[in-house]
Amino acid sequence: MAMEPLSRSEFLKLIALGGVGVAFLGGPERALAALARAEDDLDRAALDGDATAAHAAAGKILAVARGTSAGTNTKKAVAAIGGMRKFVSSGDVVVVKPNIGWARAPKYAATTNPAVVGTLVSLARRAGAKRVIVMDNPVSSDPANCYDVSGIAAAVKSAGGSMQIMGGSGYKKYKLPGHLLQTHPLYAAIVNADVLINVPIAKQHGSTGLTLAGKNMMGCTSSRQRMHTLGLSQSIAEINARLRPELTVIDAMRILVRNGPSGGSLGDVKVKNTVIACKDWVAADTYATRLFGKKPGAVPYIEAAADMGLGTMDLSSLTIRNV
Amino acid sequence: MSDQARVEEKAQDGGAPEARRREAGGWKAARWARRAVQIAALILFVYLLFAALQRRAAFPFADLFFRFDPLAAFSTMLAAREWLPHLALALVTVGAALVLGRIWCGWICPLGTLLGWFRFRAARRLAPRVPPRLRSVKYVLLGVIVVMAALGSMTLLILDPIGLLTRTFTTSLIPGFDYVVGAVETALVGWGPGDGVVNWVEAHFRGTVLPVEQPHYAQGVAILLVFLAVVLLNVFAEQFWCRYLCPLGALLGLVAKAQVLRPLVGAGCNGCNACVRACRVDAIERTDAGAGGGGEAAVARARVVTSECTMCLDCLVACPEHEAMSFGPTLKPGPWATYDPGRRQFLTAAAIGVGTVALLGTSVARAIKSPGLIRPPGAQDEGAFLARCLRCSECMRVCPTSGLQPSLGQGGLEAIWTPVLASRLGYCDYSCTACGHVCPSGAIPKLDLERKRKQVIGVAVIDRDRCLPWAANTPCIVCQEMCPISNKAIVLSDQRLITRPDGTQDYLARPKVVAKRCIGCGICEYKCPLEGTSAIVVLPSDPALAAGSVPGGSASPEG
Repeated sequence: MAMEPLSRSEFLKLIALGGVGVAFLGGPERALAALARAEDDLDRAALDGDATAAHAAAGKILAVARGTSAGTNTKKAVAAIGGMRKFVSSGDVVVVKPNIGWARAPKYAATTNPAVVGTLVSLARRAGAKRVIVMDNPVSSDPANCYDVSGIAAAVKSAGGSMQIMGGSGYKKYKLPGHLLQTHPLYAAIVNADVLINVPIAKQHGSTGLTLAGKNMMGCTSSRQRMHTLGLSQSIAEINARLRPELTVIDAMRILVRNGPSGGSLGDVKVKNTVIACKDWVAADTYATRLFGKKPGAVPYIEAAADMGLGTMDLSSLTIRNV
Repeated sequence: MSDQARVEEKAQDGGAPEARRREAGGWKAARWARRAVQIAALILFVYLLFAALQRRAAFPFADLFFRFDPLAAFSTMLAAREWLPHLALALVTVGAALVLGRIWCGWICPLGTLLGWFRFRAARRLAPRVPPRLRSVKYVLLGVIVVMAALGSMTLLILDPIGLLTRTFTTSLIPGFDYVVGAVETALVGWGPGDGVVNWVEAHFRGTVLPVEQPHYAQGVAILLVFLAVVLLNVFAEQFWCRYLCPLGALLGLVAKAQVLRPLVGAGCNGCNACVRACRVDAIERTDAGAGGGGEAAVARARVVTSECTMCLDCLVACPEHEAMSFGPTLKPGPWATYDPGRRQFLTAAAIGVGTVALLGTSVARAIKSPGLIRPPGAQDEGAFLARCLRCSECMRVCPTSGLQPSLGQGGLEAIWTPVLASRLGYCDYSCTACGHVCPSGAIPKLDLERKRKQVIGVAVIDRDRCLPWAANTPCIVCQEMCPISNKAIVLSDQRLITRPDGTQDYLARPKVVAKRCIGCGICEYKCPLEGTSAIVVLPSDPALAAGSVPGGSASPEG
């Protein structure tokens, strides 16, 4: 009988189990204490960065965390790029922008994993944020319903953040860099936030190939139709050039490979158990196309953004950390 | 002028000062109780309006006032030829009228309460000139409604007072309120402390008091004008609508002929007219020719017409004489007034009712098998729907996208102000069943989400001469993106990467509708980025279309 080779995560799990087993030899109290210590260490690293991150150049790390726990992956990924305190300072108003475009349960992979969002909210709070506000302008159904059904409202509330419904009067027209849109309505509270964290879920999409971090920023505008008709890829690049998210965390725990972006069938969902974090969203999106077996060129807005100098598609210029 | 001042000023014409000091305290307390009940009922009414404002799950008693409305209940059961247990609470109102007369009108009805607050100086001068015969108009209207309902038509339920007020709030007052709030907020955004105020208001009130989306309603102005007309009629007499026009008041008035507990004028009456002047609906008749004076009257000089009395109790407060007026039981039927309905009114009502039904039945809308109306989910049997719909607008207000609109032309006058889905204004939300759950009469059935998601209300059709990818080689897949069906009722064909004039790349693909998967929710029509008419529209479904095959193409692009 041939034995299947162990995957990295299985190997790590074995090591961890072994570690716990060894710890048990010293008595259950010590084992539990060891587990709690590990948890504490991860929490501390997620705030201040892990040992390796401290030595790398700022903003030049792309972290890819794998594992079955979305919350742990998020902490590990944020720790690997330097910790939340690198992005959030005491007293900041932080906006977290997940994809809550649809009234779908988390298992359908149409909206960002609530545990990823909740973990980021709690990290931002512990990094000293005065307020952490979570919002999206859903394309279907009404916001309150999408917030509830996606599980994000509950996760955010228990993490100490608040959900905001993006009412029509909250939008203002802003001048944008680039040649296409010139001015475009964006949600003022997002533009004015001290820190913007972009938390998309990775999905297939009919007009952009995939919807990742760049496309997720379309939830910050009240005028999507104008972007569609004028030229979607370039428009996406231009609003990102104005919004400039400080941190991008891509939820690829479960990805939607067909019938996106709305989904609704478990047959279209693939489990990837991955969370990607990077200061540079163009790099994060470039990396994420791999999960779908696609080339970055298949997602034209990534190229448009790289052309505008919003980030790099050259992943060899970054340190990619698998954690 | 307050009720109090008005009554006392009038009382001065009559009794001596010491007489005015008679113990009216008990009745004053009762009058305060009435005001408190009126205000509480109005607050409850408004609360229920907001409890069913753009929701997916509304408060289960959102239709409470309609359930107590015997006009709505009786006509619906008559037109639908079906016992509707849901509306049986209306029997409570009828029972209350047997004991206490039109107490609904004077204590509960929110329209009556509002009309009581719109007082015009001219009314005192003009009221005596309004001929009392006009009071029979309400009985004729009631008769017409009953005759039409018996013939299966509910069209004139637009005159139901609860429906009239509800519709006014839904289609004009609430949207107008939100518009004003939005305009003020827009002015404040970006101006120093303004942002904070706007954020606070948005965070606390958006989604509860303020609708999520600014609602727009097709007939808002017309519906508001009807309401304003009803208010302005108060120029001619206080509570003009309640006295002369209200068909629900007429129904309760007929029941109130047997009113057991009522204000009674006794032998102590000195004929001072204080009660007559105090009565806001002019429901007290003099029974003798000579007015005023005369101390030794052996018989009562006035009587209360129970079918007109709204039980406001002002007469009992105003009466300056001990024991002249009392409140108590009697089994004598209320007096029959000259304007009360008789053979003449009945025949008039029957003629108008039959004539109206005949006229509405010959409208062009009836000549086409399916006149192009997209009805709320579950209300696809047009005849059964029209025989139940109260035109009350509950469904339109609760609709989270405000896509349900009061119709005017599409279904003919017969279907005036019934709900139709106007997908360009708002779509039928895939995860919503609210309209069926607030519908007071069951015209829209209560569907669970599973069934509602399969309920076909129409089918989308693409106009390839307007659709951007088809007509202009311009990339757009909004309709396909929005389609909530999990395997997509809109598929993309001929997908390829193209280079735009500015050198940037986008996908071009052409959408096609899979009629057998489409339920007609209309989100595609709503979201189509074309200006004006959408390039994809929802039309009434036809089984022949749904039987077709799936066109070529795939929902996913090849990367």
